[in-house]
Parts: sequence; C-alpha cells; structure tokens
Amino acid sequence: MAPEPPLLSMSGITKSFPGVRALDGVDLDVQAGEVHCLLGQNGAGKSTLIKVLAGAHQPDTGTIHWRGEAVTLRSPIAAMRLGIATIYQELDLVEHLSVAENVHLGHEPTAAGFVVRGKAARASTARLLKRLGHPEIDPARLVGELSAAQQQIVSMARALSHDVRLIVMDEPSAALDPDEVDNLFRIVGDLTADGVAVVYISHRLEEIRRIGDRVTVLKDGRAVAGGLPAKTTPTREVVALMTGRNVEYVFPERPTKDATADKPLLQVRGLARDGEFEPLDLSVRPGEIVGLAGLVGSGRSEILETIYGARKPSAGQVIVDGRALRPGSVRAAVRAGLGLAPEERKAQALMMLESVTRNVSVSSMSRFSRGGWIDRAAELGAARAATRELSLRPDNPNVPVRTLSGGNQQKAVLARWLLRGCRVLLLDEPTRGVDVGARAELYAVVRRLADEGLAVLLVSSEVPEVLGLADRVLVLREGRVVHTAPARELDEHRVLDLVMEGSPAS
Amino acid sequence: MTQHASPPRDSTGKVQSVGAPPAWRGLMARADVRTLSLLGVLAVLIIIGGITKPDEFLDTRNLQLVLTQASVIGVVTVGMTFVIISGGIDLSVGAIVALASVWATTVATQEYGFAGILFTAVIVGVGCGLVNGMLIAYGAMVPFIATLAMLASARGLALQITDGKTQIVTVPSVLDLGERDAYVLGIPPLVMVFAVVTIIGWLVLNRTTFGRRSVAVGGNAEAARLAGIDVRRQRLYLYLLSGLCCGIAAFLLIILSGSGQNTNGNLYELDAIAAAIIGGTLLTGGRGTITGSVLGVLIFTTITNIFALNNLQSDVQQIAKGAIIVAAVLVQRRTASTT
Amino acid sequence: MPELTSRRGLLFGTAAIGAGALLVGCTSNESDDEPAANDQPAADDKPGKEVTIGFAGPQADHGWLNAINDNAKSRAKKYSDVTLEITEGSNDTAAQIGQIETLINKKVDVLVVLPADGKALTQVGLKAMRAGIPVINLDRIFNTPQAYRCWIGGDNYGMGLNAGHYIGEKLKGKADAKVIELAGLDNLELTKQRTQGFDDALKNYPNIKKVARQAAEFTVESGQAKMAQLLQAQSKFDALWNHDDDQGVGALRAIEQAGRDDFLMVGGAGALSAFQAIKQDDGVLKATVLYPPTMAASAIDLARALGQGKGVGGMAEFEIPASITLYSAVVDKENVDQYMPTGFK
Repeated sequence: MAPEPPLLSMSGITKSFPGVRALDGVDLDVQAGEVHCLLGQNGAGKSTLIKVLAGAHQPDTGTIHWRGEAVTLRSPIAAMRLGIATIYQELDLVEHLSVAENVHLGHEPTAAGFVVRGKAARASTARLLKRLGHPEIDPARLVGELSAAQQQIVSMARALSHDVRLIVMDEPSAALDPDEVDNLFRIVGDLTADGVAVVYISHRLEEIRRIGDRVTVLKDGRAVAGGLPAKTTPTREVVALMTGRNVEYVFPERPTKDATADKPLLQVRGLARDGEFEPLDLSVRPGEIVGLAGLVGSGRSEILETIYGARKPSAGQVIVDGRALRPGSVRAAVRAGLGLAPEERKAQALMMLESVTRNVSVSSMSRFSRGGWIDRAAELGAARAATRELSLRPDNPNVPVRTLSGGNQQKAVLARWLLRGCRVLLLDEPTRGVDVGARAELYAVVRRLADEGLAVLLVSSEVPEVLGLADRVLVLREGRVVHTAPARELDEHRVLDLVMEGSPAS
Repeated sequence: MTQHASPPRDSTGKVQSVGAPPAWRGLMARADVRTLSLLGVLAVLIIIGGITKPDEFLDTRNLQLVLTQASVIGVVTVGMTFVIISGGIDLSVGAIVALASVWATTVATQEYGFAGILFTAVIVGVGCGLVNGMLIAYGAMVPFIATLAMLASARGLALQITDGKTQIVTVPSVLDLGERDAYVLGIPPLVMVFAVVTIIGWLVLNRTTFGRRSVAVGGNAEAARLAGIDVRRQRLYLYLLSGLCCGIAAFLLIILSGSGQNTNGNLYELDAIAAAIIGGTLLTGGRGTITGSVLGVLIFTTITNIFALNNLQSDVQQIAKGAIIVAAVLVQRRTASTT
Repeated sequence: MPELTSRRGLLFGTAAIGAGALLVGCTSNESDDEPAANDQPAADDKPGKEVTIGFAGPQADHGWLNAINDNAKSRAKKYSDVTLEITEGSNDTAAQIGQIETLINKKVDVLVVLPADGKALTQVGLKAMRAGIPVINLDRIFNTPQAYRCWIGGDNYGMGLNAGHYIGEKLKGKADAKVIELAGLDNLELTKQRTQGFDDALKNYPNIKKVARQAAEFTVESGQAKMAQLLQAQSKFDALWNHDDDQGVGALRAIEQAGRDDFLMVGGAGALSAFQAIKQDDGVLKATVLYPPTMAASAIDLARALGQGKGVGGMAEFEIPASITLYSAVVDKENVDQYMPTGFK
C-alpha cells in the first residue's frame, strides 16, 4: 500500500514584494496529527509563509497539495473551506462584539437564511470553550473585556468552529502566563490526538522541545532545514541554523591600527528604560565598530533608539564628543552628528513614494537651501555623489526608492547620513531583508565608513555578522549586558551560549 | 576589498532586470498621465460646452466668469492640498471663510476701510489656522476631530457676530475690485490673486524645504521624525497655511459678493477635498500636486458653468459632480496600478 | 447706514467671542432700525389678564428668521400683561422638541411654535394641546390641525403668483418677452410652491416665456454665483424674479459686475436693503413680494388674545380663526414707504 500522502505539502513557494524576496523556494510538509514547528528570526519569512497558507497572500511560484491534491488558496475563505485555520499573533477579534458573535463571525447559525440564532450560537460557543478548558468564559461577554489569554482562547474557538484539519498558531504563547501555556499545550495535545495538524510558530526553543514533533527552520526566505526531529536535535544546532550563515562571507579586514588610543566619540552612561533595558555603559571611538549581539527581546533595538533620542530614557546620558545630548530629542541627536539606520526601513526610514534623491537629502536640506529655497541642482549633485560613493544601483537618484532592492534601500539610508556628515552611525539589523549576495558589499561599506573616522554601533541578531564586522562585541540578554569582549576573542558558539543562557558555558 | 564566497552575483543589476524601461521614466510618464488625463477631461468639457452653447460658452466674458468663480474655492484648495499631502485634513475651511468674511465686514471693521477689511480677513484666517495647528501638533488631536470642532465653533461665532444678518460692504475701494473697470488686460483682480496663490503654492511645494518637509511628513511621519524633521512644528505651519488661504479666500469672497454672511463658504471643505482628490492628491498623504488640485477646481467650476448655461437644475448638477469624483478616482487608480 | 457712526473700535479686539457678543448686543439695542411690527392696534391695548407665552423657533441663521424673533420680542414687550418665555433657537428637531416639552412643563399659557420641521414636530404640538396649552403654529405647518389651535403663516404659492402677475402687467404688450427665475434652495417644498405660483401666473400672459431657472441657496454667495451664470447664459431678457432678498444681495452684485440694466427685477421676502433699493429706484430692482416676518408679532397678538379668552379686533366672531394665511403683497416704489419699518436685515 502506498504511504498516506502528507496532509499538506508546499513546495518551491516563492513570494516577492517590491525590493525584497520574502520567500525563496520554501518547502513544507505537514502530516495529520503532528505538531510541526516553524522557527526563524524576524524577517525570515515565517509570517509570509503562513499568510500564503491562510490564503491571504498568493505565491509567485510553487505548488500546494492538500491531502494529495493540488489546490490554489485564492482567499482566506478558500483556505478555511479546506479546513485550514490561522490564529494570528495580532488577534483579529472584534472587541465590541460578544464572544459568541466573534466565534461565529461570518458563519452565524441562522434561521430563514438571515435571522441570527443567538441562543444557538452561544450554546455552541460554550461547548467549544469547554473543550478548550475555559468554561468560565461567558459567550455573551464582549471580547474587549477579556484578558489577552482569554482572547486567544476565543480566537482558537473560532478556528475550531469550522471543520478544521490544520491550525496555524503564530506565537500563541507570547502573551500567556506559564499556567496558561500548560493549558495551551493540553489543547494542542487534544487536537493532535483527534488527527488535527498544528503548525506552531515560536521563538521559545523549550516549548518546541515539549510539544513539537518536527521542526522546519526558515532563514532569509529559505527553509534551511526541514523536518528535523523536534525533541532530539541539539539546541545549538537549531540556533545555529536560525542565526548562522548558510553562506560563508568574507568580512572586510579590520584595520591594523589600534583605535583604543583615541578619545571616545560616543559615550553612553547608565542609560536605561524601565521594562526594556537596564543601565548600560558603552563607548565607541572614531573608526571603531561596536556590535550588540542578542536575540529578539534582548532590548537591542530599544537601546539604539534610546541613544538616538527616539525614545525617552528613564535614566542616564548620551554624550557625543564630550557634550551631553538633550534626552529624548531626535533633533538634538542629529545635530550632534548621530544617524540611525532603523530596523524597519520601510516604516521608519524611507518615504517609499519619493525618489532616492529626496530620501537622501531629507536630513540635510538646509545645506542646499537658502531662505527655504532649495537649489535642486546642488541637491541632486550631492545625492548623486553620496549614492555613487556607496555604489547604489541603479546609478540614478531620480528613481523612486521603492523600486530599489533591499540592499540598495539600505544604501540610500546610509547615503542620507553620509551626506549629512554624520559622525556616529547607529545600525539596526543593517542586512535585514537584504539579498544574500548584496550583504558583503554592505559590510564593506560599513567598514569603509568606519575607516574614514565614523563611530559605528551595530545591532544584529545574526551572530556571525556581529562577530565578523565589529571590533568589540557586547552580548545582551533580556535587557542586560552579560559579556563584553573584542570580537576576535569570541566565537559563534560562545556567543550563542551567552545569548541563550546568560552565562558562559563550556 | 571583499570577495563573495557565493557564486558572484551582482546585486547592483537587480532593479534594471525587474522593470524593462528605467523606472524614472515610468515616474515621469505617470505624473504626466495624471495631469494629461485631467487636461483631457477639461478639454472634453470645453468641447461639450462649445457644442451645446457656442455663443455663451466660448466667450471671453464666460472665461472671465468661470475663472472668477473658481478663484475663491481655488485659493482654499491650494491650502487644503498642502494639508492633505502632509497626511492631514482640514474640515474647517468653509467655516473659517465664513468667520473671516463676517468679521472683516462688521460695521466697525469697515470704518478702517480697505486695509482694515483685508487685514481682518487674513488675521482671522491665520488665527483659526493657529488654533487648529496647535491642537493637532501639540495637543495631539486627530486632525479630523480638531478641525471638525473648529468648523462648529467658527460657524457659531460667525452667526453670533452677524446675528443672522447680511452685512453689506460699503467701502468703495473693496467693491470696485469686483467690477469690470478693475480688470487689467481683461484679467479680473480675483483671478490674478488666484493665479499668484497657485504659483506661490506650486513653488513652495516643489522648490522649498517647507514643501519637502510637508511631503515627507505625509509620506512617512515616523521616518521624517527619525530623519531629524520637526514634525510637530511642520504640522502647525501647515494648518496656519490653510488658515491663511481661507483668510485670502474670504477677502476675495467679500469682493465678489459685496457682503459678508455667516452662511458663506458653505461646504467648501468638501469641494476643496474633492478637487484635491480628483487632482491626484492621496488622501493618505505623501503625494499630490498643486497643478492637479487647480485643474480639479477648474473642472468642477466648468461643469457648474456648462450646466447653468444649459439651464439644467441643481439636482442634475449634484449627481454629475458625484459621478465625476468616482470616475476620476477610478481612472487614477487604474493608471497608478498599470505602471 | 446709520450704524456707521455709532460704533467704533470693535474690530481689532483680541477676544473673538467678546467682540462677537458685543456686536450682537449693540445691534439689538439699536432703536431706530428696530424691525417694528406694523402698528395696527391689537384686540385691545389695555392691560388685561397676565399671560405667559412660550415661544420656540429655529436658529436665526438667516435674515428673515432673525426678523421673526425680533418681531415676537418687540411685540411682547409692548404689552405689560405678557411675559415671553423664549427658547434658544435650534435647527435640530430633537432639541426643539425638548425645548417645547420644557415649556409645556413650565405650564405656559399659550405656545407659539415655528418648527424647524413642521412634520417632525407634530407630535409635540399634539402633546401641548392635550395638556390644555393652545398652540399658535407659525408658518411651517404641522401635519394635523389637531396639533394647533391657530395656524398663521405666509403664502409661498401666492408669492410666486403675485410676482408673476406683477411682471406680467409690466411686460404687457411686449412681444416675445423673456423672463428668468432665480429660485431658492431646491430641496425645500416652499421653493417648489413659489415656482409653481410663478409659472401659473405667467400662463395668463401668452407673450411671456420663462427661458431659464437656476436655484441658489438663500445665501449671498450662491445668489452671486448663480446670477452670474444666468446673466452669461441669457444675453437678453426682460424680467427676473428672485425668490429671496438675501440671495438677492448677491444677485444684484452679479448684475452690477456684469454691467447689465436692461431688465426689471422683482425680489422676495421683504428685506430692508431691497426696500431701500426700490425707493432709490436707480437699479434693476423694482419690486419685492412680501413674506412678512410681522406674522410673528401677529402670532403674539393671537396668543395674548387666546390667553385672555378674547377675540381679535375687526372680526365679528368671539373666537380667533383657526387659520390665517397672510397676503404676499407686492411692494414697489408706490407703497414702499409704508413697508419700510418692517424691512429686515
């Protein structure tokens, strides 16, 4: 007898958005009754993949087989009809409707085709909630009055209100207490015992160990490992797959000159933000690249944005060239020579409808203007010079920035600060969404800028990137610096141990 | 300096391979398509007008009439375009025009003659804009709500000042500007003001740091903030600008109607928004042109003119106006998505 | 204008609301241009039984409505035995219902109501009548006669009719005469009635043809805009009827700007500025058809008579009539002096 085909089989799925390839030939097999874990850093392609699975995105290429038959998931409704339900991290519940109304939204039990049978809806909702171990939730209550954990249960009840065979759970434990996580796992166990498959997405490796059957690791839009045994694959191997390189890069040479003799250009003293990161001290000298290594939630981006004045610190100082900055003022930071290349380029850095020139010149407009009038020739010339210096392609600053690839968009952000004459560059995940092939070039650019005398503070969740590019590395864990050392004295395994355990393990 | 360990792959060629023609040419073509499509609509209207009423429509006096009628709302629309480009909205423009026009025509104000009327109209407009701007920029109020509140208050105050009465202007130097004798080379003074405001508006949007910052704030406020732009101050200035335009428009309206009335500027907010939208300004901000908005105003005014010349009634006019807004937006979405 | 010399220094004040309030105050204290009711003696002028009259009207955002309020107030002031309870004007039906219910609860003796919307306020009229408070329904009529004791109002159809007849007589004997009509807000029933009356009158004059009609919005701005278009559309015509003197200010402005004086114009409603122009007789405006705001003063008289249980003078009946339709008189140069005091601003 031929083996049973997998419940779901996705193969060669690609999906591009302007400027970035989010999925690059991903394969995923899910068996009935298994918990299949999906792992990956932010931006690895997990959310795009589950949106394809939910019918919210259409893949550019690739095939999807459902119980052995090729299918096209044209819409969320089509996916739901097949029995695929998705519980998103951002819960998609309507706060001003009751629990029962939310659970049956779009498929209300009706009489005569349009009269909603509220009582029947409440009764079936109560049954679902009981099955989920939360009989105490009143189906008549408004969803907005429930706790986050209860809302998640409602979301799950909504999924189960359909005849469901596959449930996708996007970081379901993120908002839950340990007790509630136990209940969640019990539910997952019940579901799989009934033959329902679960695609489970989480950052927490210990959870995957507890409930997972198999693991697929995504990185840069590719499945770097598929179907690994969840319980037995060593943690270090899984983390290395997530944070490591599937391609070895040659990083630019570090300068031979010892920079420690110079006076620090950027000094951070006791900088802290309640609930985000603890008092932090660091300094960066001209010509030096300092790296902050840490996983999601370690406070890296928050630290960078606080130094930049985009968040107001609860304590501490930022000193540039001996002068303390006004806390919480981006303009003060920019005037003092700081520049930030933020993590979310599209949301935080670029005016996507505008040309490269305008995106590059936006921070230095006073240089090309007299009395508010812009000298457009000078502006274009300066933008061209700055983008050429970074080899931005295409070599035409009039194109809209949204047509650029991820790497070139990042170069446009760097060109902005280069043009501004910035002296301290803050880089937050500089290669996120940048094609693999373009990364080495970006590294070279960053090193060259440092060689020209800039102080660079780099944040990355990719350990090899920090180790390869930075001169000195600060390892962060849960808002605290746990280790500081020159990069050449560290290796990837040691840093991985540090970011996961908080103390150097052998 | 650097060697790729992976098969050499030129990241730089990426964009060129995606779109066949250089992207900038596409951008230029699209900008042109938008303006051209509006000019096309206007041309069609002129043909319709010329066919249905050749003698009355194709006439210098009618051209003067259409442009004059477009001036008041046109000046308001220039200010509104800036606000919408920056991602905001100003629902209070009509009410500000009403308040400025009645305050500038009280008996007491008229004693100060031409200068008094002009000064009061502008100051009231700017003052209302200042209140809007402060509430939105520094009071963190949503523009829709803040300007809605201004709409209600300014209309109420205008009613209180006039007590529902029509305030007739008796200052000859103001009235004379609306007469044919004041036309210079056949151009009515109101139209000249409209033209000057349009040109200045175009220059400010396209050639100054103020214009750049407005577009940047509308395109991506967070990115603008992180790039070092003072987003709040920019917002304040934008509503001040809109208020200033309302003040100027109020003065034009006083000249045109020879009076001030609390019902002035009725539904200007909707007319100005509609003109900006069919002119290609994104309601979400980040894109828009003065040229498009002014063409939008001219299209609406021309339609009204053609309908009136053909003695069609106001119900038909309103239906046509609604249809044209929908059609213009649909056409633009299509041109935007096919490029 | 008489006020020109009477007030100064208000303009550049900083407090907007203060200045606005001051202006309002000054205007209503002005005695020489008070829109006095015509001085026809009422039932009897001698003080009688004390009567409390509740008055509820719409928001006075238009010259005519403002004159209604002024007429009611000044008429009530004339009688030492009348106390007037006047509400804040409102265009919101629900708000007006609330105001009238408050007046009912206060147990006023008689109610005078000019509804924002006659149909929508019928129920509250019925309620007052059932509570034993007679209602004088002013102008905008309730749905049922049960909701009022007496209705007094203008005649929109008659306005159009009289305007049509006036123009018809003026153009008598002129072959192929053309008239145009500048109507008011087209979504109001009264505009349709005025147009209907005008058209019916013109049917009596086969030499006259109505060649164009545009609707303005009772505002100066819309009057100017629509009239400018009409003038461009019709290079030659003989007469114009404009429904409303307020928008007529704008229409006259457009006529002046176009430099046209080759036709006669008839207005509507009876604004002071129109009366003045008719008296001066140096422009196109030759007459206006009344829609008299003095009906509010008459309503006060009727209310007082009801409250005191008397009839009205000049009629044989003991009771006041159930309905009074005012005549839409044509005011021209001949009789304008008589109407001048009733003109509103």
